[in-house]
Amino acid sequence: MGIEIKNLQAAYEDRVVIPCANLTIPEEKITMMIGQNGCGKSTLLKSIARIIPIKKGEIFLDGISTKSISSKMLAKKLAVLPQSPIVPEGITVKNLVGFGRFPYQKALSGLTKEDYEIIEWAMNKTGVYELRERKVEELSGGQRQRVWISLALAQRTEILLLDEPTTYLDMAHQLEILELLQKLNEEEKTTIVVVIHELNHASKFADYVVGMKQGEILFKGAPKDVICEENLRELYEIEAVLMKNETKGYPVCVDYSLLR
Amino acid sequence: MKHKNKVFTFICIIFLLITVLLALMIGSYQMTPNEVLQTFLGNGSKLQNFTIFQIRLPRTVLAIIVATALGISGSVLQGITRNPLAEPGMIGINAGAALGVVLWISSGTSAYYSALPISTVIFLPLIAMVGSLVSVTFIYFFAYKKGISPVRFILTGVGVNAGISAIISFYQLNMSKGDYNQVLTWTNGSLWGSNWNYILLTAPIIFGLAILILIRSRVLDVLSLGDELATGLGVQVQKEILFFLITASFLAAIATSVAGNIAFIGLLGPKLAEKVLGGNYRTRLPFAAGISAIILVLADTVSRNLFAPIEIPVGIIVSILGVPYFIYLMIKEK
Repeated sequence: MGIEIKNLQAAYEDRVVIPCANLTIPEEKITMMIGQNGCGKSTLLKSIARIIPIKKGEIFLDGISTKSISSKMLAKKLAVLPQSPIVPEGITVKNLVGFGRFPYQKALSGLTKEDYEIIEWAMNKTGVYELRERKVEELSGGQRQRVWISLALAQRTEILLLDEPTTYLDMAHQLEILELLQKLNEEEKTTIVVVIHELNHASKFADYVVGMKQGEILFKGAPKDVICEENLRELYEIEAVLMKNETKGYPVCVDYSLLR
Repeated sequence: MKHKNKVFTFICIIFLLITVLLALMIGSYQMTPNEVLQTFLGNGSKLQNFTIFQIRLPRTVLAIIVATALGISGSVLQGITRNPLAEPGMIGINAGAALGVVLWISSGTSAYYSALPISTVIFLPLIAMVGSLVSVTFIYFFAYKKGISPVRFILTGVGVNAGISAIISFYQLNMSKGDYNQVLTWTNGSLWGSNWNYILLTAPIIFGLAILILIRSRVLDVLSLGDELATGLGVQVQKEILFFLITASFLAAIATSVAGNIAFIGLLGPKLAEKVLGGNYRTRLPFAAGISAIILVLADTVSRNLFAPIEIPVGIIVSILGVPYFIYLMIKEK
C-alpha cells in the first residue's frame, strides 16, 4: 500500500511546521526520513498516522483519503510506533503484544483463536516469543523495542511507521532492529517508513530517502542518488566525506565537519 | 492467572460478607450473628427488624454503592491521567458536588436528611451532579490546551478544589452553629442520612455507569500505552478521555450527593486492586469497587461506634486509614 501526500500543511496549534509538502512514499519499500532536529520529519510521520490533525491538504492510502477512514479502519491499514510509548506497570510481553489486536476486537469479546495465533506469529517474527511471560519493564532497550515492533505487527497492517526506533540503543542493537525491519519488508512486503537520525543507517537500509529541512522536502530518491556532498551540505550544514560501499554501492559517510 | 483471579474474587467476597455482618451486628444495640440471621429469616423482634432493615442495612448497602462509585471513579481517573494520585476527592469533582449540595441544603431547609421533604431528596443527587459537572467543566476548560494533558488536568483540579473548598468554608462561617456542624459532617463525608429512598435513587445510576465503563474498559488499557500509540491503535483519544471524565465525574457526584465528600477511598481501593491484581481494567475495576466497599463498610462501622453515641464522619476514618498507607507507598516506591 503506497502513501501519497498532497499539499499537506501540518501545524501544532498556530505554529506551522510543514507549510506544504508533496510526497509519494513507494509501496513495499523502506523509506527513511532524515534531517535536523525540528525539521518536521516526525511531524510528517504523525500526520500520516493522524496523531496530529491535518491542517490543509490530504494524505491518500491506496487512493483513499485518510480523512474518510474511521480510526479503527486506519489502525488496520497502518501501524505506528511512536518515539516513546509508555510501558504499563507489570505488563507481560504477550499481553502488550496482544494490544495490537485492539482494532479488530469488539467491545465485550476477548481474543479469538485467530488473535492468539497472530500474536504468537508477531512475537516469533521479532524473536521475543521466548520472553512472552516476562515483564516488559524488566527487558533491555533492544528487547523492548522488538516487543513494540511485535505489537505493531500484530495489527497486521500493510504499512508500518516508526519514529526513531534506534534511538537510545547501542550499535549492535541498532543494527538488529534495522535488519529486523529489512526482513519484515522482504518477507511480508510491508511498506516501512522510518524517521532516523543516523545518516549511514538510512544510506544502508533505505530503498528511498527523504531529506527534510525547515518543513520542506529538500530531496527524495534512492540513497545512491540523493546522498551526496552537496545535499548533505544543505541538509545538515556539514561538509561530509563520502565513500562508496564496494559491494552494494551505497554511499557511506566516513567523516564530517561543520561548514565554515 | 485465571486461577489467581478466582481465588481473589473468593477472598474479596468473604471479606465483604464479614464486614457487612460486623456492620449489622455492632451498634448501640448489639446483636449476635445468629440474631442477624434470624432477623433476615423473618424471625426478628420489632426492635431487631427496625435496627436491621431501617437503620443498619440501608446504611451498609449505601456504603457499598458509594464505595463502588468512588472506587471505579478513582480507577478511571488514575488511568486516564496516568497519575496514581488522581482521585475524585482531590481534583475538585467531589468539592463541586459538595458546594452544590451545601448551597442547596442551607438555602432551602435546616432539617436533617431523613426529615427533608421528598422533593429535596430527589433533587439532591441532581444538584450534586450539576455541581460536580460544573467543576469538571471548569477544570476541563482551564486545563484545555490543544487537547487535554493529564498533568495539566490534575494541577488545575487541585487548584479548583482549593478554590471551591474556600468558598464552602466561607459559606460555613456565615452559618448558625447547628447548620455549621451538619455541613461539616457532610463535607467530611458521612453516611449519616442513609435511607432506602437514596438507595433506590442512586443504585441504578451508579451500576448503570459502572457497566458502561466496564464495557469500554479495554480502551483504558490501550490509553495506558500513551496517547500516540493509542491513536495508532484506533482510539479517538480526546473523545474517549471526555467519555471517561464525564462518567467518572457522574459516579463521584452521585456518591458525594448521598455520602458527602469521602476522600481517599477512591485512592485506596483502586491502588490496592492494582497492587494485588495488576492486569487489565476489566478484572481490576470490579476489585477496585469490592475493596473500596470493604474499606468503607469497615470504616463506617468504626466511625459509628468508636465514640458512640457521637458519630464521627466516615471520611475522617478513611483518611486515618489512608495516611499510613500513603506513607507506606512513599517508602516502598523510591
